[in-house]
Amino acid sequence: MIIVRAPLRISFVGGGTDLPGFYRQYPGKVISAAIDKYVYVAINPAPLVKGITARYSITETVNEVSLLKNNRIREVMLDLQISDNMEIGVFSQLPVGTGLGGSSAFTAALFKGLSTTIGKRLDKKEIAENACRVEIDLLKEPIGKQDQYASAFGGFNIFQFNPDETVEVEPVLLDYKRRMDLEKHMLLFFTGITRQASSVLSEQKTNISNKFETLKSMTLLVDTFKKELLKGNFEALGELLHKNWLKKKQLASKVSNQVIDKLYEAGIRNGAWGGKILGAGGGGCILFLAPFNKKESIRTAMKRVSVKYQLENFNEVPVKFVQSGVEVISNSLLK
Amino acid sequence: MENYINNYIKKSLKLLQNLPGKEIAKAINILQATYERDGKIYVFGNGGSLSMATHWVADFNKTVFSHHLDKNVRRFQAIRLPTTEAEITAWANDVGFEMIFAGPLRNYIKEGDTLIAISSSGNSPNIIKAVELAKEYRIPIIGVSGFDGGKLNEMADAKICVKTDRGEYELVEGIHSVILHLITKYFKNYFDYLEENLEKS
Repeated sequence: MIIVRAPLRISFVGGGTDLPGFYRQYPGKVISAAIDKYVYVAINPAPLVKGITARYSITETVNEVSLLKNNRIREVMLDLQISDNMEIGVFSQLPVGTGLGGSSAFTAALFKGLSTTIGKRLDKKEIAENACRVEIDLLKEPIGKQDQYASAFGGFNIFQFNPDETVEVEPVLLDYKRRMDLEKHMLLFFTGITRQASSVLSEQKTNISNKFETLKSMTLLVDTFKKELLKGNFEALGELLHKNWLKKKQLASKVSNQVIDKLYEAGIRNGAWGGKILGAGGGGCILFLAPFNKKESIRTAMKRVSVKYQLENFNEVPVKFVQSGVEVISNSLLK
Repeated sequence: MENYINNYIKKSLKLLQNLPGKEIAKAINILQATYERDGKIYVFGNGGSLSMATHWVADFNKTVFSHHLDKNVRRFQAIRLPTTEAEITAWANDVGFEMIFAGPLRNYIKEGDTLIAISSSGNSPNIIKAVELAKEYRIPIIGVSGFDGGKLNEMADAKICVKTDRGEYELVEGIHSVILHLITKYFKNYFDYLEENLEKS
């Protein structure tokens, strides 16, 4: 069996500029970091067990790859021309739709794992490029490229998406102290509202031409964010998140809603410097940067709002940053 | 005599000041990632560089955690290549001197591991053979070189080159030792800080 894991990510500023409608006209830019929550893919080639079985939220067994309902597993297998009998299982540490890039982490892990079964060794860049190709070109999803890169590379990075489709990866070189101090000033909550990124992004995609200047200004926040991060100015980082969130809300009507606005306001009112919804928006996780001594009152306030709006799955998600990207963590098929 | 000594120190200082900090930072990130995924770190070099590899392995595997040896279940797994002297002569005598690192490396290497190659010229054929094997496995390579960096610097992911005139072995190896100790000290401080913060929370 082969087991692969791919990290989820927190994207700080610049999200949305990784959509082709934008970066083909002006280079897109995001700053993001991989976190210690993973999507795992287990692959068990089993020649004598008839069919291809995919286990995710449901289990399906088919005789031919093209009949698989799970579009990511199907497309990656077709793309790598793998048609042998096998079982593929997906395991995630967090629910689907948290805005932490889980879908693309899944594709990256799948591509890494399935290519390993046929003896191909691909590096981070190749995994990221292939995951983007599968999701954007083959599956025609209205998504961007940042999640595939964040998961494949791991660590803290600035990604620049160029009009010619190339992607530049600039690692943000933080020492352990800066990294851990940032963790200490962060609060991450899962709102309990799950949504499909594509529903928000479809609208956002059609809005790109009128929101062009807003998106352009978001790319400019990235370098400022990096500068303040290297200085350890966490208050300034919170304010940048806030600026970015106000811009992000303009991109599409579904980015925020009444409940999200209430949660966000509660965080700010109780002392957070700033924050944002992670991922496309409309639900998922909400991130705050706050003084250390305000964290407890923010927690209490958030809890109160979640009870009021009956967010049953609302929870705090403790996170740490990780440096390692998509990796084969176990391979018993080596000969 | 004192002039000679001062001159040597001056040259060393200049080299230290011009070290590629970003590349050392990249190397530290590579080692951090290797630790997270429980990968192994292979270190090797010829002559004095082999001694430095041995010295670094001892420090890195033990000294990094010296303040809390019992607490950390996950440790670094740095391995000097080859792990025995007998393997050096076995590979050199039976197969060829260029295989003394790549040969033993093949016994261990897995995806998720990391390579640190130390070579002043960056061109020793036995070093390059092992680096090529690492490339095949797509594992990250930290190149610690001197002079113009040679092939090693071209192939490495973290390109730590102490740029000097060809043949300045003493100066280069002295600086290499500083870099390796810096990396050890970084992780020692990191695990101390981690421990302090765990105690507080």
